[in-house]
Amino acid sequence: MFGSEQRPFENEIARLIVASLHLEIDPRDIGPEHPLFGEGLGLDSIDALELALVLSRDYGMELRSDDPENSRIFSSLRSFAAHIEVGRTKGSKGTPDLEAV
Amino acid sequence: MPGFPLLDRAPEAILFRSRERPQTREDFLADVARVAQALPDARWLVNCCENRYWFAVVMAAGLLREQPSLLTSDHSALGLAWLNQRYPGAILVSENEAPDSPYVHYRVMPPAGGTPPPHPPNPDVPGDRVAAVVFTSGTTGEPTAHVKPWGGLVARSRAAGERFGFVEAAPATVIGMVPQQHMYGFETTLLLPLHAAVASWADAVFYPADARAALAAIPAPRVLVATPLQIRALVDFGLPEPPELVVSATAPLASSLAEAAEQAWNTEVYEIFGATEVGSIASRRTVRDIHWTMYPGLSLQATSDPPLIHAPFLQPRQLNDDIEVLDSGHFRLIGRGGDLVKLGGRRASLAGLNHILARIEGVEDGVFVVPDDLDRHPSARLLAFVVAPERAASEILADLRGRIDPVFLPRQIVRVESLPRNRVGKLTKDALTALRETVEPE
Repeated sequence: MFGSEQRPFENEIARLIVASLHLEIDPRDIGPEHPLFGEGLGLDSIDALELALVLSRDYGMELRSDDPENSRIFSSLRSFAAHIEVGRTKGSKGTPDLEAV
Repeated sequence: MPGFPLLDRAPEAILFRSRERPQTREDFLADVARVAQALPDARWLVNCCENRYWFAVVMAAGLLREQPSLLTSDHSALGLAWLNQRYPGAILVSENEAPDSPYVHYRVMPPAGGTPPPHPPNPDVPGDRVAAVVFTSGTTGEPTAHVKPWGGLVARSRAAGERFGFVEAAPATVIGMVPQQHMYGFETTLLLPLHAAVASWADAVFYPADARAALAAIPAPRVLVATPLQIRALVDFGLPEPPELVVSATAPLASSLAEAAEQAWNTEVYEIFGATEVGSIASRRTVRDIHWTMYPGLSLQATSDPPLIHAPFLQPRQLNDDIEVLDSGHFRLIGRGGDLVKLGGRRASLAGLNHILARIEGVEDGVFVVPDDLDRHPSARLLAFVVAPERAASEILADLRGRIDPVFLPRQIVRVESLPRNRVGKLTKDALTALRETVEPE
Protein backbone atom coordinates (compact mmCIF):
# COMPACT_ATOMS: atom_id res chain seq x y z
CA MET A 1 0.00 0.00 0.00
CA PHE A 2 2.70 2.42 -1.06
CA GLY A 3 0.20 5.10 -2.14
CA SER A 4 -1.17 5.65 1.36
CA GLU A 5 2.16 5.97 3.14
CA GLN A 6 4.15 9.17 3.40
CA ARG A 7 7.52 9.31 1.74
CA PRO A 8 10.26 10.93 3.84
CA PHE A 9 10.03 14.34 2.22
CA GLU A 10 6.24 14.22 2.37
CA ASN A 11 6.55 13.58 6.09
CA GLU A 12 8.85 16.57 6.42
CA ILE A 13 6.25 18.78 4.69
CA ALA A 14 3.43 17.24 6.76
CA ARG A 15 5.33 18.15 9.94
CA LEU A 16 5.92 21.65 8.59
CA ILE A 17 2.22 22.13 7.84
CA VAL A 18 1.14 20.89 11.27
CA ALA A 19 3.74 22.98 13.09
CA SER A 20 3.27 26.20 11.19
CA LEU A 21 -0.54 26.07 11.17
CA HIS A 22 -0.84 24.63 14.70
CA LEU A 23 -3.09 21.81 13.65
CA GLU A 24 -4.25 19.43 16.33
CA ILE A 25 -3.32 16.33 14.38
CA ASP A 26 -0.42 13.97 14.06
CA PRO A 27 1.51 14.77 10.86
CA ARG A 28 1.64 11.05 10.08
CA ASP A 29 -2.16 11.04 9.84
CA ILE A 30 -2.23 13.28 6.78
CA GLY A 31 -2.97 10.97 3.87
CA PRO A 32 -0.61 11.74 0.99
CA GLU A 33 -3.46 11.72 -1.52
CA HIS A 34 -6.05 13.59 0.57
CA PRO A 35 -6.92 17.21 -0.30
CA LEU A 36 -5.24 19.87 1.83
CA PHE A 37 -7.88 22.57 1.41
CA GLY A 38 -11.62 22.62 1.90
CA GLU A 39 -12.66 19.08 2.64
CA GLY A 40 -9.79 16.88 3.63
CA LEU A 41 -7.39 18.72 5.90
CA GLY A 42 -9.66 21.77 5.86
CA LEU A 43 -7.07 24.45 5.30
CA ASP A 44 -8.28 27.89 4.20
CA SER A 45 -6.88 30.91 2.42
CA ILE A 46 -5.28 32.31 5.56
CA ASP A 47 -3.42 29.03 5.94
CA ALA A 48 -2.28 29.36 2.34
CA LEU A 49 -0.86 32.79 3.12
CA GLU A 50 0.96 31.38 6.14
CA LEU A 51 2.31 28.44 4.15
CA ALA A 52 3.58 30.85 1.48
CA LEU A 53 5.60 32.67 4.14
CA VAL A 54 7.00 29.45 5.59
CA LEU A 55 7.98 28.06 2.18
CA SER A 56 9.71 31.30 1.32
CA ARG A 57 11.62 31.23 4.60
CA ASP A 58 12.54 27.54 4.76
CA TYR A 59 12.80 26.52 1.12
CA GLY A 60 13.43 29.79 -0.68
CA MET A 61 10.50 29.26 -2.99
CA GLU A 62 7.53 31.42 -3.75
CA LEU A 63 3.89 30.63 -4.39
CA ARG A 64 2.13 32.74 -7.02
CA SER A 65 -1.57 33.20 -7.79
CA ASP A 66 -0.92 33.13 -11.52
CA ASP A 67 0.61 29.66 -11.44
CA PRO A 68 -1.77 27.61 -13.62
CA GLU A 69 -0.67 24.53 -11.68
CA ASN A 70 -1.98 25.85 -8.36
CA SER A 71 -5.07 23.68 -8.10
CA ARG A 72 -2.97 20.61 -8.84
CA ILE A 73 -0.18 21.68 -6.45
CA PHE A 74 -2.57 22.10 -3.56
CA SER A 75 -4.64 19.05 -4.38
CA SER A 76 -2.75 16.79 -1.97
CA LEU A 77 0.22 16.53 0.36
CA ARG A 78 1.92 14.42 -2.30
CA SER A 79 1.66 16.99 -5.09
CA PHE A 80 2.44 19.85 -2.71
CA ALA A 81 5.60 18.13 -1.46
CA ALA A 82 6.64 17.23 -5.01
CA HIS A 83 6.24 20.87 -6.04
CA ILE A 84 8.46 22.02 -3.16
CA GLU A 85 11.06 19.35 -3.80
CA VAL A 86 11.45 20.52 -7.39
CA GLY A 87 11.14 24.25 -6.82
CA ARG A 88 13.11 24.83 -3.64
CA THR A 89 16.27 26.87 -3.71
CA LYS A 90 17.13 26.28 -0.06
CA GLY A 91 17.67 22.94 1.56
CA SER A 92 16.40 21.71 4.84
CA LYS A 93 17.97 19.09 7.06
CA GLY A 94 20.80 17.22 5.38
CA THR A 95 20.47 18.93 2.03
CA PRO A 96 22.93 21.63 0.96
CA ASP A 97 21.81 25.20 1.44
CA LEU A 98 22.23 26.64 -2.01
CA GLU A 99 22.34 30.19 -0.71
CA ALA A 100 25.31 29.33 1.43
CA VAL A 101 27.29 27.73 -1.39
CA MET B 1 -33.18 62.53 -10.13
CA PRO B 2 -29.72 63.86 -11.07
CA GLY B 3 -27.56 61.50 -13.08
CA PHE B 4 -24.12 60.21 -12.23
CA PRO B 5 -21.78 59.32 -15.11
CA LEU B 6 -20.38 55.84 -15.45
CA LEU B 7 -16.97 57.41 -14.90
CA ASP B 8 -15.32 60.78 -14.60
CA ARG B 9 -11.77 60.30 -15.76
CA ALA B 10 -9.53 62.20 -18.16
CA PRO B 11 -9.42 60.97 -21.77
CA GLU B 12 -6.86 58.18 -22.18
CA ALA B 13 -6.63 57.73 -18.40
CA ILE B 14 -5.58 54.21 -17.40
CA LEU B 15 -8.28 52.53 -15.33
CA PHE B 16 -6.82 49.06 -14.85
CA ARG B 17 -3.34 47.60 -15.13
CA SER B 18 -2.29 43.98 -15.32
CA ARG B 19 0.53 41.81 -16.60
CA GLU B 20 -0.92 42.47 -20.04
CA ARG B 21 -1.63 45.86 -21.58
CA PRO B 22 -3.26 48.59 -19.51
CA GLN B 23 -6.98 49.24 -20.01
CA THR B 24 -7.88 52.86 -20.65
CA ARG B 25 -11.06 54.84 -20.14
CA GLU B 26 -11.91 54.29 -23.83
CA ASP B 27 -11.27 50.52 -23.64
CA PHE B 28 -13.55 50.32 -20.64
CA LEU B 29 -16.42 52.33 -22.13
CA ALA B 30 -16.23 50.36 -25.39
CA ASP B 31 -16.30 47.03 -23.55
CA VAL B 32 -19.19 48.20 -21.34
CA ALA B 33 -21.22 49.23 -24.41
CA ARG B 34 -20.48 45.94 -26.16
CA VAL B 35 -21.28 43.73 -23.14
CA ALA B 36 -24.42 45.75 -22.33
CA GLN B 37 -25.73 44.90 -25.81
CA ALA B 38 -24.85 41.25 -25.51
CA LEU B 39 -26.03 40.35 -22.00
CA PRO B 40 -29.07 38.10 -21.87
CA ASP B 41 -32.22 39.22 -20.10
CA ALA B 42 -32.10 38.60 -16.38
CA ARG B 43 -33.16 40.29 -13.17
CA TRP B 44 -29.75 40.04 -11.54
CA LEU B 45 -26.19 39.22 -12.50
CA VAL B 46 -24.21 36.92 -10.24
CA ASN B 47 -20.91 38.61 -10.99
CA CYS B 48 -18.24 35.93 -10.58
CA CYS B 49 -15.47 37.54 -12.64
CA GLU B 50 -12.05 36.98 -11.11
CA ASN B 51 -10.25 39.62 -13.12
CA ARG B 52 -11.11 43.03 -11.69
CA TYR B 53 -11.34 44.68 -15.10
CA TRP B 54 -13.97 42.24 -16.31
CA PHE B 55 -15.76 42.42 -12.97
CA ALA B 56 -16.05 46.19 -13.39
CA VAL B 57 -17.15 45.90 -17.04
CA VAL B 58 -19.92 43.44 -16.11
CA MET B 59 -21.03 45.55 -13.14
CA ALA B 60 -21.22 48.68 -15.34
CA ALA B 61 -22.95 46.91 -18.24
CA GLY B 62 -25.50 45.48 -15.82
CA LEU B 63 -26.00 48.93 -14.31
CA LEU B 64 -26.94 50.33 -17.73
CA ARG B 65 -29.43 47.48 -18.21
CA GLU B 66 -30.87 47.71 -14.68
CA GLN B 67 -29.40 44.31 -13.83
CA PRO B 68 -27.70 44.78 -10.46
CA SER B 69 -24.61 42.68 -9.72
CA LEU B 70 -24.94 40.28 -6.83
CA LEU B 71 -21.61 40.32 -5.03
CA THR B 72 -21.01 36.99 -3.39
CA SER B 73 -17.63 35.59 -2.54
CA ASP B 74 -19.13 32.18 -1.86
CA HIS B 75 -18.85 30.47 -5.24
CA SER B 76 -19.35 26.99 -3.85
CA ALA B 77 -22.20 24.94 -5.30
CA LEU B 78 -24.01 25.29 -1.98
CA GLY B 79 -23.50 29.06 -1.79
CA LEU B 80 -24.68 29.60 -5.36
CA ALA B 81 -27.74 27.43 -4.75
CA TRP B 82 -28.64 29.55 -1.70
CA LEU B 83 -28.34 32.71 -3.78
CA ASN B 84 -30.45 31.22 -6.57
CA GLN B 85 -33.26 30.59 -4.10
CA ARG B 86 -33.16 34.13 -2.75
CA TYR B 87 -32.68 35.87 -6.10
CA PRO B 88 -34.59 33.96 -8.76
CA GLY B 89 -34.18 35.11 -12.35
CA ALA B 90 -30.45 35.73 -12.11
CA ILE B 91 -27.74 34.59 -14.49
CA LEU B 92 -24.10 33.96 -13.66
CA VAL B 93 -21.46 35.98 -15.49
CA SER B 94 -17.74 35.31 -15.53
CA GLU B 95 -14.76 35.37 -17.86
CA ASN B 96 -14.11 31.68 -17.16
CA GLU B 97 -15.90 28.45 -17.81
CA ALA B 98 -19.19 27.90 -16.03
CA PRO B 99 -18.86 26.70 -12.44
CA ASP B 100 -21.03 23.96 -11.03
CA SER B 101 -24.24 25.87 -10.31
CA PRO B 102 -27.96 26.04 -11.07
CA TYR B 103 -27.43 29.18 -13.16
CA VAL B 104 -27.51 30.01 -16.82
CA HIS B 105 -23.93 31.13 -17.51
CA TYR B 106 -22.82 34.04 -19.70
CA ARG B 107 -19.12 34.19 -20.49
CA VAL B 108 -17.75 37.68 -20.98
CA MET B 109 -15.01 37.81 -23.62
CA PRO B 110 -12.54 40.34 -24.94
CA PRO B 111 -13.57 42.04 -28.20
CA ALA B 112 -13.36 39.71 -31.20
CA GLY B 113 -11.13 42.15 -33.08
CA GLY B 114 -11.54 45.09 -35.42
CA THR B 115 -11.59 48.72 -34.36
CA PRO B 116 -14.00 49.62 -31.58
CA PRO B 117 -16.21 52.70 -32.13
CA PRO B 118 -14.05 55.83 -31.69
CA HIS B 119 -16.03 57.65 -29.01
CA PRO B 120 -17.82 55.19 -26.79
CA PRO B 121 -20.53 56.87 -24.70
CA ASN B 122 -20.16 57.67 -20.99
CA PRO B 123 -23.81 57.48 -20.00
CA ASP B 124 -25.40 59.15 -17.00
CA VAL B 125 -27.13 56.78 -14.63
CA PRO B 126 -29.87 57.84 -12.18
CA GLY B 127 -28.40 58.08 -8.69
CA ASP B 128 -31.03 55.86 -7.12
CA ARG B 129 -30.54 52.97 -9.55
CA VAL B 130 -29.26 49.87 -7.78
CA ALA B 131 -25.75 48.93 -8.94
CA ALA B 132 -25.01 46.07 -6.63
CA VAL B 133 -26.23 43.96 -3.75
CA VAL B 134 -23.57 43.23 -1.17
CA PHE B 135 -23.82 40.58 1.52
CA THR B 136 -22.46 40.82 5.02
CA SER B 137 -20.07 38.06 5.89
CA GLY B 138 -21.74 35.47 8.02
CA THR B 139 -20.51 36.39 11.46
CA THR B 140 -24.07 35.94 12.72
CA GLY B 141 -25.33 33.18 10.47
CA GLU B 142 -27.50 33.97 7.42
CA PRO B 143 -25.98 36.55 5.07
CA THR B 144 -27.81 39.89 5.03
CA ALA B 145 -28.30 41.77 1.75
CA HIS B 146 -27.41 45.46 1.37
CA VAL B 147 -28.59 47.33 -1.70
CA LYS B 148 -26.17 49.85 -3.20
CA PRO B 149 -27.58 52.74 -5.27
CA TRP B 150 -25.18 54.11 -7.90
CA GLY B 151 -25.26 57.71 -6.64
CA GLY B 152 -24.04 56.77 -3.18
CA LEU B 153 -21.20 54.66 -4.56
CA VAL B 154 -20.07 57.46 -6.89
CA ALA B 155 -20.27 60.11 -4.17
CA ARG B 156 -18.12 58.09 -1.78
CA SER B 157 -15.59 57.13 -4.48
CA ARG B 158 -15.13 60.80 -5.29
CA ALA B 159 -14.83 61.53 -1.56
CA ALA B 160 -12.18 58.82 -1.09
CA GLY B 161 -10.22 60.19 -4.04
CA GLU B 162 -10.30 63.62 -2.48
CA ARG B 163 -9.34 62.30 0.98
CA PHE B 164 -6.26 60.50 -0.30
CA GLY B 165 -5.27 63.31 -2.65
CA PHE B 166 -5.34 61.34 -5.90
CA VAL B 167 -4.85 63.68 -8.87
CA GLU B 168 -4.98 63.02 -12.60
CA ALA B 169 -1.57 64.70 -13.02
CA ALA B 170 0.13 61.83 -11.17
CA PRO B 171 -2.34 58.95 -11.07
CA ALA B 172 -1.72 56.25 -8.48
CA THR B 173 -2.27 52.52 -8.89
CA VAL B 174 -4.13 50.50 -6.29
CA ILE B 175 -2.98 46.96 -5.61
CA GLY B 176 -5.86 45.23 -3.89
CA MET B 177 -5.39 42.09 -1.80
CA VAL B 178 -9.00 42.14 -0.61
CA PRO B 179 -11.72 40.34 -2.56
CA GLN B 180 -13.73 42.55 -4.90
CA GLN B 181 -16.99 40.98 -3.75
CA HIS B 182 -16.41 42.41 -0.29
CA MET B 183 -17.81 45.93 0.12
CA TYR B 184 -14.42 47.34 0.95
CA GLY B 185 -12.66 45.65 -1.97
CA PHE B 186 -15.52 46.60 -4.28
CA GLU B 187 -15.10 50.26 -3.36
CA THR B 188 -11.31 50.51 -3.32
CA THR B 189 -10.39 48.31 -6.29
CA LEU B 190 -13.38 48.58 -8.67
CA LEU B 191 -15.22 51.84 -8.09
CA LEU B 192 -12.27 54.06 -7.21
CA PRO B 193 -10.71 53.81 -10.72
CA LEU B 194 -13.99 55.03 -12.24
CA HIS B 195 -14.33 58.18 -10.15
CA ALA B 196 -10.92 59.01 -8.71
CA ALA B 197 -7.52 59.43 -10.37
CA VAL B 198 -6.27 55.90 -9.75
CA ALA B 199 -5.76 52.74 -11.74
CA SER B 200 -6.41 49.35 -10.19
CA TRP B 201 -4.31 46.21 -10.58
CA ALA B 202 -6.70 43.76 -12.25
CA ASP B 203 -4.96 40.44 -11.55
CA ALA B 204 -5.41 38.42 -8.40
CA VAL B 205 -2.97 39.39 -5.64
CA PHE B 206 -3.03 36.90 -2.84
CA TYR B 207 0.44 35.61 -2.02
CA PRO B 208 3.22 37.91 -0.82
CA ALA B 209 5.12 37.17 -4.03
CA ASP B 210 2.10 38.38 -6.06
CA ALA B 211 2.18 41.71 -4.25
CA ARG B 212 5.91 42.04 -4.76
CA ALA B 213 5.60 41.31 -8.49
CA ALA B 214 2.72 43.74 -8.93
CA LEU B 215 4.61 46.48 -7.06
CA ALA B 216 7.60 45.95 -9.33
CA ALA B 217 5.45 46.08 -12.48
CA ILE B 218 3.76 49.43 -11.98
CA PRO B 219 4.92 53.02 -11.71
CA ALA B 220 4.75 54.99 -8.44
CA PRO B 221 2.74 56.12 -6.65
CA ARG B 222 1.42 52.72 -5.58
CA VAL B 223 -1.30 52.11 -3.00
CA LEU B 224 -1.47 48.77 -1.23
CA VAL B 225 -4.94 47.86 0.00
CA ALA B 226 -4.78 44.95 2.42
CA THR B 227 -6.01 43.49 5.67
CA PRO B 228 -3.88 43.72 8.82
CA LEU B 229 -3.02 40.04 8.45
CA GLN B 230 -1.75 40.55 4.92
CA ILE B 231 0.20 43.64 5.93
CA ARG B 232 1.91 41.64 8.66
CA ALA B 233 2.79 38.87 6.18
CA LEU B 234 4.24 41.40 3.75
CA VAL B 235 6.32 43.08 6.45
CA ASP B 236 7.79 39.65 7.28
CA PHE B 237 8.25 38.75 3.61
CA GLY B 238 9.94 42.02 2.67
CA LEU B 239 9.11 44.34 -0.21
CA PRO B 240 12.09 45.69 -2.15
CA GLU B 241 9.80 48.18 -3.90
CA PRO B 242 7.41 49.25 -1.18
CA PRO B 243 4.08 51.01 -1.74
CA GLU B 244 3.92 54.78 -1.33
CA LEU B 245 0.66 54.44 0.62
CA VAL B 246 -0.94 51.60 2.57
CA VAL B 247 -4.65 51.39 3.29
CA SER B 248 -5.93 48.85 5.79
CA ALA B 249 -9.43 47.83 6.74
CA THR B 250 -11.84 45.01 7.67
CA ALA B 251 -10.26 44.50 11.08
CA PRO B 252 -8.69 46.84 13.65
CA LEU B 253 -5.10 47.59 12.81
CA ALA B 254 -2.74 47.40 15.77
CA SER B 255 -0.73 50.60 15.96
CA SER B 256 2.42 48.52 16.50
CA LEU B 257 1.87 46.89 13.11
CA ALA B 258 1.06 50.22 11.46
CA GLU B 259 4.29 51.59 12.87
CA ALA B 260 6.31 48.57 11.72
CA ALA B 261 4.95 48.90 8.18
CA GLU B 262 5.55 52.65 8.10
CA GLN B 263 9.15 52.15 9.14
CA ALA B 264 9.90 49.12 6.97
CA TRP B 265 8.55 50.75 3.84
CA ASN B 266 9.05 54.44 4.60
CA THR B 267 5.37 54.94 3.92
CA GLU B 268 2.13 56.09 5.55
CA VAL B 269 -0.45 53.60 6.74
CA TYR B 270 -4.10 54.63 6.84
CA GLU B 271 -7.15 52.80 8.07
CA ILE B 272 -10.57 53.10 6.51
CA PHE B 273 -13.63 52.91 8.73
CA GLY B 274 -16.76 51.45 7.30
CA ALA B 275 -19.38 48.80 7.43
CA THR B 276 -21.09 46.85 4.70
CA GLU B 277 -24.36 48.72 5.35
CA VAL B 278 -22.85 52.15 4.72
CA GLY B 279 -19.54 51.50 2.96
CA SER B 280 -16.39 53.43 3.77
CA ILE B 281 -17.11 56.64 5.62
CA ALA B 282 -13.99 57.80 7.46
CA SER B 283 -10.24 57.36 7.71
CA ARG B 284 -7.30 57.96 9.99
CA ARG B 285 -3.55 57.52 10.01
CA THR B 286 -3.24 54.86 12.67
CA VAL B 287 0.07 55.91 14.22
CA ARG B 288 -0.97 59.55 14.48
CA ASP B 289 -4.73 59.88 14.94
CA ILE B 290 -6.92 58.74 17.78
CA HIS B 291 -10.04 60.11 16.12
CA TRP B 292 -11.51 59.31 12.71
CA THR B 293 -12.18 61.96 10.06
CA MET B 294 -15.34 61.61 7.99
CA TYR B 295 -15.03 61.56 4.20
CA PRO B 296 -15.85 64.88 2.53
CA GLY B 297 -19.59 65.22 1.93
CA LEU B 298 -20.53 62.86 4.77
CA SER B 299 -21.43 64.06 8.23
CA LEU B 300 -22.43 63.01 11.72
CA GLN B 301 -25.44 64.24 13.59
CA ALA B 302 -24.75 64.24 17.29
CA THR B 303 -28.11 65.66 18.34
CA SER B 304 -29.65 62.23 18.11
CA ASP B 305 -28.71 59.36 20.34
CA PRO B 306 -27.20 57.21 18.96
CA PRO B 307 -25.65 59.62 16.43
CA LEU B 308 -26.77 59.46 12.80
CA ILE B 309 -24.64 59.23 9.66
CA HIS B 310 -25.67 61.45 6.77
CA ALA B 311 -24.39 60.31 3.39
CA PRO B 312 -25.63 60.75 -0.20
CA PHE B 313 -28.32 58.21 -1.20
CA LEU B 314 -28.40 56.72 2.26
CA GLN B 315 -31.26 57.16 4.71
CA PRO B 316 -29.76 58.85 7.79
CA ARG B 317 -28.79 55.91 9.89
CA GLN B 318 -26.99 54.93 13.02
CA LEU B 319 -23.93 52.76 13.09
CA ASN B 320 -23.91 49.45 14.88
CA ASP B 321 -20.76 50.75 16.46
CA ASP B 322 -20.44 52.77 19.61
CA ILE B 323 -18.96 56.14 18.66
CA GLU B 324 -18.39 59.43 20.40
CA VAL B 325 -19.02 62.38 18.08
CA LEU B 326 -16.42 65.14 18.44
CA ASP B 327 -17.95 67.34 15.72
CA SER B 328 -19.87 66.72 12.48
CA GLY B 329 -16.68 65.54 10.78
CA HIS B 330 -14.85 63.64 13.53
CA PHE B 331 -15.55 60.81 15.92
CA ARG B 332 -13.86 58.50 18.32
CA LEU B 333 -14.59 54.78 18.11
CA ILE B 334 -15.52 53.41 21.50
CA GLY B 335 -16.53 49.94 20.43
CA ARG B 336 -17.64 47.89 17.50
CA GLY B 337 -21.33 47.15 17.49
CA GLY B 338 -23.16 44.28 19.09
CA ASP B 339 -20.28 43.55 21.37
CA LEU B 340 -21.27 44.91 24.73
CA VAL B 341 -20.26 42.64 27.53
CA LYS B 342 -21.87 43.02 30.94
CA LEU B 343 -20.14 41.76 34.03
CA GLY B 344 -20.58 42.65 37.67
CA GLY B 345 -23.01 45.40 36.69
CA ARG B 346 -20.47 46.99 34.41
CA ARG B 347 -20.47 47.27 30.65
CA ALA B 348 -17.57 47.18 28.27
CA SER B 349 -17.20 46.84 24.57
CA LEU B 350 -15.32 43.76 23.47
CA ALA B 351 -13.84 45.70 20.59
CA GLY B 352 -12.67 48.29 23.07
CA LEU B 353 -11.05 45.62 25.24
CA ASN B 354 -9.48 44.06 22.15
CA HIS B 355 -8.16 47.44 21.17
CA ILE B 356 -6.50 47.88 24.57
CA LEU B 357 -5.08 44.38 24.36
CA ALA B 358 -3.64 45.03 20.91
CA ARG B 359 -1.80 48.07 22.26
CA ILE B 360 0.03 46.15 24.98
CA GLU B 361 3.72 45.98 24.22
CA GLY B 362 4.67 42.76 22.46
CA VAL B 363 1.08 41.79 21.67
CA GLU B 364 0.79 41.26 17.91
CA ASP B 365 -2.81 40.14 17.91
CA GLY B 366 -5.34 39.34 20.58
CA VAL B 367 -8.97 38.77 21.31
CA PHE B 368 -11.17 38.61 24.38
CA VAL B 369 -13.63 35.77 24.46
CA VAL B 370 -16.83 35.66 26.48
CA PRO B 371 -17.66 32.27 28.01
CA ASP B 372 -21.17 30.98 27.38
CA ASP B 373 -22.02 30.87 31.06
CA LEU B 374 -20.93 34.43 31.78
CA ASP B 375 -24.42 35.54 32.74
CA ARG B 376 -25.15 32.66 35.08
CA HIS B 377 -21.88 31.43 36.51
CA PRO B 378 -20.65 33.63 39.37
CA SER B 379 -17.00 32.83 38.85
CA ALA B 380 -17.08 33.14 35.06
CA ARG B 381 -14.72 35.71 33.62
CA LEU B 382 -13.42 36.65 30.23
CA LEU B 383 -10.52 34.87 28.72
CA ALA B 384 -8.11 36.19 26.15
CA PHE B 385 -6.15 34.65 23.33
CA VAL B 386 -2.98 36.50 22.45
CA VAL B 387 -0.24 36.27 19.87
CA ALA B 388 2.77 37.51 21.81
CA PRO B 389 5.88 35.41 21.18
CA GLU B 390 8.11 37.50 23.41
CA ARG B 391 5.86 37.98 26.43
CA ALA B 392 4.59 35.79 29.22
CA ALA B 393 0.89 35.68 30.06
CA SER B 394 1.63 37.10 33.52
CA GLU B 395 3.39 40.11 32.00
CA ILE B 396 0.48 40.81 29.69
CA LEU B 397 -1.95 40.54 32.58
CA ALA B 398 0.19 42.93 34.61
CA ASP B 399 0.08 45.44 31.74
CA LEU B 400 -3.68 45.11 31.41
CA ARG B 401 -4.21 45.93 35.07
CA GLY B 402 -4.98 49.58 35.47
CA ARG B 403 -5.97 49.93 31.85
CA ILE B 404 -9.25 48.09 32.11
CA ASP B 405 -11.82 47.59 34.80
CA PRO B 406 -10.59 44.70 36.98
CA VAL B 407 -13.80 42.76 36.41
CA PHE B 408 -12.93 42.47 32.74
CA LEU B 409 -9.39 41.26 33.29
CA PRO B 410 -9.03 37.87 31.62
CA ARG B 411 -9.10 34.96 34.03
CA GLN B 412 -6.95 33.07 31.62
CA ILE B 413 -4.58 34.33 28.94
CA VAL B 414 -3.85 31.73 26.30
CA ARG B 415 -0.82 32.36 24.15
CA VAL B 416 -1.31 31.13 20.60
CA GLU B 417 0.78 31.37 17.46
CA SER B 418 -2.01 33.03 15.49
CA LEU B 419 -5.73 33.74 15.60
CA PRO B 420 -8.09 31.97 13.17
CA ARG B 421 -8.98 35.06 11.16
CA ASN B 422 -10.85 34.54 7.90
CA ARG B 423 -9.79 35.85 4.51
CA VAL B 424 -10.85 39.38 5.32
CA GLY B 425 -9.20 39.31 8.73
CA LYS B 426 -12.30 38.79 10.83
CA LEU B 427 -12.81 36.33 13.62
CA THR B 428 -16.14 34.66 13.07
CA LYS B 429 -18.31 33.38 15.89
CA ASP B 430 -17.60 29.81 14.78
CA ALA B 431 -13.85 30.37 14.73
CA LEU B 432 -13.96 31.85 18.23
CA THR B 433 -16.07 28.99 19.49
CA ALA B 434 -13.62 26.50 18.01
CA LEU B 435 -10.73 28.41 19.56
CA ARG B 436 -12.42 28.40 22.96
CA GLU B 437 -12.98 24.67 22.75
CA THR B 438 -9.24 24.10 22.45
CA VAL B 439 -8.86 25.31 26.03
CA GLU B 440 -9.30 22.72 28.74
CA PRO B 441 -11.71 23.78 31.48
CA GLU B 442 -9.81 24.72 34.61
